[in-house]
Amino acid sequence: MLALLRAQLPDVVRAAAPLGLVVAALQVTIVGAPAAEFLQFLAGLALAILGMTLLFAGIDLGILPMGRYIGAELPRRGSLPLILLTAFALGFATTIAEPDVIVLAQQVETASGGDLSATTLAVVISAGVGAFVVIAMLRIVSGVPMVYLLAAFYLVGVVLTFVAPPRIVPTAWDAGSVTTGALSSPVILALALGFISVLPKRNAVEDGFGLLGLGSIGAVLLVLLFGMWG
Amino acid sequence: MLDEVVTVARSVGLAVGPLVVLFALFQGLVLRLPPREIGRIARGTALASIGLFLFLLGVNFGFLPFGRAIGAAIGDEANRWLLVPAGALLGFVTTWGEPSVRILADQVDQASAGSIRKGLVLVAVSIGVAVAVAAGVIRIAYGLPLLYLIVPGYLLVVFAMWWSDRGFLAIAIDAGGVATGPLANTFLLAVAFGVAIAMGHEDLMVHALGLVALIALAPVLSLVFLGLVVRRGRQEVRES
Repeated sequence: MLALLRAQLPDVVRAAAPLGLVVAALQVTIVGAPAAEFLQFLAGLALAILGMTLLFAGIDLGILPMGRYIGAELPRRGSLPLILLTAFALGFATTIAEPDVIVLAQQVETASGGDLSATTLAVVISAGVGAFVVIAMLRIVSGVPMVYLLAAFYLVGVVLTFVAPPRIVPTAWDAGSVTTGALSSPVILALALGFISVLPKRNAVEDGFGLLGLGSIGAVLLVLLFGMWG
Repeated sequence: MLDEVVTVARSVGLAVGPLVVLFALFQGLVLRLPPREIGRIARGTALASIGLFLFLLGVNFGFLPFGRAIGAAIGDEANRWLLVPAGALLGFVTTWGEPSVRILADQVDQASAGSIRKGLVLVAVSIGVAVAVAAGVIRIAYGLPLLYLIVPGYLLVVFAMWWSDRGFLAIAIDAGGVATGPLANTFLLAVAFGVAIAMGHEDLMVHALGLVALIALAPVLSLVFLGLVVRRGRQEVRES
């Protein structure tokens, strides 16, 4: 367990250090916040670093293997509808646990003055990713080139951006940005690769491409649609 | 303080719950893994939950308040010239330190058989994010609608899709989410709130959000652009 943590820590520190340094430089030059506030930031940073290290170690130890087991076993045993249902469930469950999805949802709740609850938004975002992981699976079966699908959905996103209420637009595109992360990406990829491996004459690299991109545009589209009709 | 801890604990439960339920269902119906494996998965999930709890606690206590303070400081009238350099700097350094961007750089290096160096990818993506954050901060400062940046950005991506090399494009599209990790994302989110409040914008839904969205666009555009440059370079070599 300790070895696992030791493996993750350098990466997390490397990601956090530049941020800490820039913030310290800004504090000294222009921000000049009270020392207590700055110390609170440093304490928060230390907690966040520790938290990320544990999170990544936990993903490696338990969540990734879980994703791999399901990804490898399911396509061999299940029928197509069951595979699609699981694809949705896995996309949903891993996205709703992404740290930045949780924080974005909280921030949106604050920004909206409570009109849009964090839980509702997190559910909509995760359902969007889940739904589009299903579309990605169907695409693998049908063989439609991913480029067409991505281009089409990006264009739909652009059109909906004009049609949807302006208040929801920034949230929707932010959602697309925070979705695919350390938790959802490897699990979704594991499921897709497991699925591809049982289909005849498929190339994992070519067929796996665009899955994550499709997942994030899915979150954008569903939040936009939710803003229009929700 | 205690209230916050309880709220954070509840959101961790909400976040990890679906994953646990899903796995329990699978284990019962299909997988039937041996107890040793279950133990490992349970320990990993517990570890991840504790990690998530600490991360959210650190973000709520330290990151969000101070990110807002920084946003307020660079949004202040006296410091307004700092908006662009400070935004660009934050974008550049957080991307530069992001481990997943380095993995991406390795992938590109390999996919291009060494013709696009790792270091070049790292610089290109970091510059892309720096430009994106600077543009996003300017947008917030002047209260421009997000669609002015998002619509041309994604149209450019769609357009570029027809021109770039397939294998390269594959990497570029999936790269959208990697440029900034949870640390940088949450911090920039808070900075954007600080700037929007300092500028006196009323509706934070419209003005404070939308900065992180641009960061997803940056690596895609940077990589597609790099791909085009490299392809042109190759053609020129062939012609001469």
